[in-house]
Amino acid sequence: MRMPRLTALLTATAVFTTALTLAASAAEVHVLNWKGYGADEPWAVAAFEKATGNKVVNDFFNSEQEMLTKIRTNPGLYDVVMINAAFNDQAMAEKLIQPIDTSKLPNYADISKDKAGSPMLDHDGKVYGVPWVWGLTALAINEKSFDNPPTSIAEMWDPKHKGRVVIRDDAVEAVQFGAIATGQNINDIKDMDAVKTKLTSLMPQIKTFWSSENDWNQMVASNQIDIGTYWSGSADRAKTHFKLPVSLVIPREGAVAWLDAFSIPVGSKNVEGAQAFINWMIDPKFYVEWVTKVGAPVSANTKAVEALPQDAFNRKVMGDPEVAKRIQFQAPITDAQREAYLALWQQLKVDVK
Amino acid sequence: MAAQSATASRSGLRSALPLLAPAYLWLTVAIFLPLSAMVFFSFMTDLPLSGKSWAFTLGNYAAFFSQSLYLTLLLASLRLGLEVTLWCIVIGYPAAYVLAKVLKGRSREAIFLLVILPFWSNGLVRIFSWAMVLREGGILDTALNAVLPFKINIDLMYSYPAVIIGLVHSYVPYMVLTCYLTLQAIDDSLIEAGRSLGASRLQVLKRVIIPLSMPGLVAGAALIFVPVVGSFMEPRILGGRTGTFYGTVIEDQFVAVFNWPLGAALSFILLAVVLVILAIASPVLRRAA
Amino acid sequence: MATTRILEGLGRLYIFLLLAFLYLPIIIMALMSFNVSPFYQLPFEWTTEWYASLWQNDQLIAATWNSLEIAIITTLISVVMGSAASLALYRYEFRGKKVLQALLFPPIAIPWLITGTAMLIFFFGVGIGRGLFAILLGHVALALPYVIVVVSARLQTFAPELEEAARSLGANQWQVTMRVTLPWIMPGVIAGGLFAFAVSFDQFVVSYFLSTPGQTTLPVEIYAAIRKGFTPEINAVSTIIIVVSMALMLLTARFFKFGGEK
Repeated sequence: MRMPRLTALLTATAVFTTALTLAASAAEVHVLNWKGYGADEPWAVAAFEKATGNKVVNDFFNSEQEMLTKIRTNPGLYDVVMINAAFNDQAMAEKLIQPIDTSKLPNYADISKDKAGSPMLDHDGKVYGVPWVWGLTALAINEKSFDNPPTSIAEMWDPKHKGRVVIRDDAVEAVQFGAIATGQNINDIKDMDAVKTKLTSLMPQIKTFWSSENDWNQMVASNQIDIGTYWSGSADRAKTHFKLPVSLVIPREGAVAWLDAFSIPVGSKNVEGAQAFINWMIDPKFYVEWVTKVGAPVSANTKAVEALPQDAFNRKVMGDPEVAKRIQFQAPITDAQREAYLALWQQLKVDVK
Repeated sequence: MAAQSATASRSGLRSALPLLAPAYLWLTVAIFLPLSAMVFFSFMTDLPLSGKSWAFTLGNYAAFFSQSLYLTLLLASLRLGLEVTLWCIVIGYPAAYVLAKVLKGRSREAIFLLVILPFWSNGLVRIFSWAMVLREGGILDTALNAVLPFKINIDLMYSYPAVIIGLVHSYVPYMVLTCYLTLQAIDDSLIEAGRSLGASRLQVLKRVIIPLSMPGLVAGAALIFVPVVGSFMEPRILGGRTGTFYGTVIEDQFVAVFNWPLGAALSFILLAVVLVILAIASPVLRRAA
Repeated sequence: MATTRILEGLGRLYIFLLLAFLYLPIIIMALMSFNVSPFYQLPFEWTTEWYASLWQNDQLIAATWNSLEIAIITTLISVVMGSAASLALYRYEFRGKKVLQALLFPPIAIPWLITGTAMLIFFFGVGIGRGLFAILLGHVALALPYVIVVVSARLQTFAPELEEAARSLGANQWQVTMRVTLPWIMPGVIAGGLFAFAVSFDQFVVSYFLSTPGQTTLPVEIYAAIRKGFTPEINAVSTIIIVVSMALMLLTARFFKFGGEK
């Protein structure tokens, strides 16, 4: 059964033909997103395909830079791409994404006004990104190590957690975390030296730098860590879906917030299917199912959040006006800033060796 | 090896070409041309993607020298490469010897294949499994505490030794393989002759076996040293806080900040250093043979 | 001799210890494929759930087949081309030979990340694009230097007088190669093939850049999975692969004596 393909491949090499590139057909919606991030849930895909007749083809990226590279090098392949709002500007400036006709998205009207009107997504009165979900990069704790959850970011520096603290291996996140710890605006860091000093003193506390949700969950499962930076949606999933002793802490000093949105790349061969898919993704019905079955960040659709139970984490904690006051949304970062942050972060990592 | 030059000069490039051409053509299309494009990028200020403006610069190479960070990490990576290679020789060479000269019959083929098999498994899954062994409360810790009368705490995970263990595990089959190939080719009668002339085992080893198996040792060392210097995945996962190496900063340039020109420049500096080391090391090793 | 027997015993013990070291993580990998916790959590609780869900995971299975196909084809192509090139480098002397030999090291020395990106840009630029064919193109190129280095190491032990003797008995170049040289370097060729298979089968970075949705390999699927949805299905599939290849290898070793006659 497999042999014909094997021989075909052999022949292909022998005659040195050109590539077997996959062309997107009209009834397919090619979606580019993080793996395991809602859009590739089998039940959701099946329901969408049944309702609209479109076939969903998922592709994934492992970093925002890679996502941009994939759109740059595959014009016309993707119909929907999930872009962190802080990168929307860059994607638009490079003419990678096109304006979205929101009148074709019935659910767009229910997107909370502050998210839908975000200057990061709207340019010249045109909408380049449909807000989907938002979340926090805050702290999470191993419940076994705490009698009472801490309230301050300073807990990370407490000597009693020495060698049991983790932080994500990401320069931007680390520097912005340092900014919060030193009481600064994450999008306008005035005192970089203070950030550096603060992070330098954190380094001896660190066990390792995590890079994936799986890293974090494994370390908690084997009781190797006490506290660390973590994403709100992931902490919720670790607790509800995987039953791990993890809980999220939004420290009184604040936390970094991010907004994820859907865009349609320039050259999409199935704009209609793309609109239908995005509308499906921001629908309350999908969202409630996603939260219940898997665990998810907070929807940008107010009706979707209201459809959750009263005491749901995403409604009660994340919807708390007190929390809203503390969090700071990530704004776009220039390449020069990004490189400066990386240089600082690498230096810190070398100094600790 | 002196015999090699006797046949070698018989005919030249003309006869060699049909045999060489397929391999080198393939390498040209799939490696050398793409890498040449990268060399080109390494002299640019920005990528020529999506209409960004760019110019030629030496700045990416200058960046290496302007910050002590890169040199520090390059030295750390070279040291890592050297240590891993040495461990692989120490562990792999005796094993290759036993396989080639002590074991006989069917069991030899079977064991030889068993040595190769582990690196057909996925590298990442292997590293995850090492994490289970090395961490506090992990397999090693539990096993040792079950045997030893006193309590010890073993937590090797997220440390330099963990990186060494992971890398040696991944690369030691290379050494066993290449050394086995040359050891197995040594005629047993040569060894017996040496012994009957009154040479001790150690002398035979030093005068006959090691020199004759040198090509395998050198090939194995090169195949291990070279990729280990540029490795980034094992150090990142197993090394924890201490897992920053030259390979990881190159990865950062590509993945985190999208500065391909700088990342490319850093890799070509690495390549140059590695080639210089191989060039210096090979005559020395040959003389030792 | 008593010392010889003791040394032989020690040798066997040593090989056993080496195998134990090599297989320790493999055994853990296999055990965890039968453990309930997706995070390798202990105490161990037996389950075959991961094998059951692997059976349903068409994507992972398809990627595994792709990996196998590509690794097998890569092995065949690179062994043939690589052995030919090693023979040429061994037999003939010509200007630029040292350069050709040195050129084998860039593919090994440059981190695969850079090679992968370079291939992506270049293949994209010249219209080869991405997909399984591009992956194969890249894998063969990555495997070739390994094959050439390994086969050359074996050739270094070859006595050219054997070729001369065969030639003086009236054998032509082709007969000399097939009857005399090739049998001698066979262990090297097989070892080179094992390398090539390993390089291709476990290759992540280059495949990663060159794959498209639907045309991916197993390591690419695995790396994409660890970010969010890592499950021991990956242990399960790795365990199946190891067990099957172990069975195949032991069977091969039983019926086919390679490693050269002495």
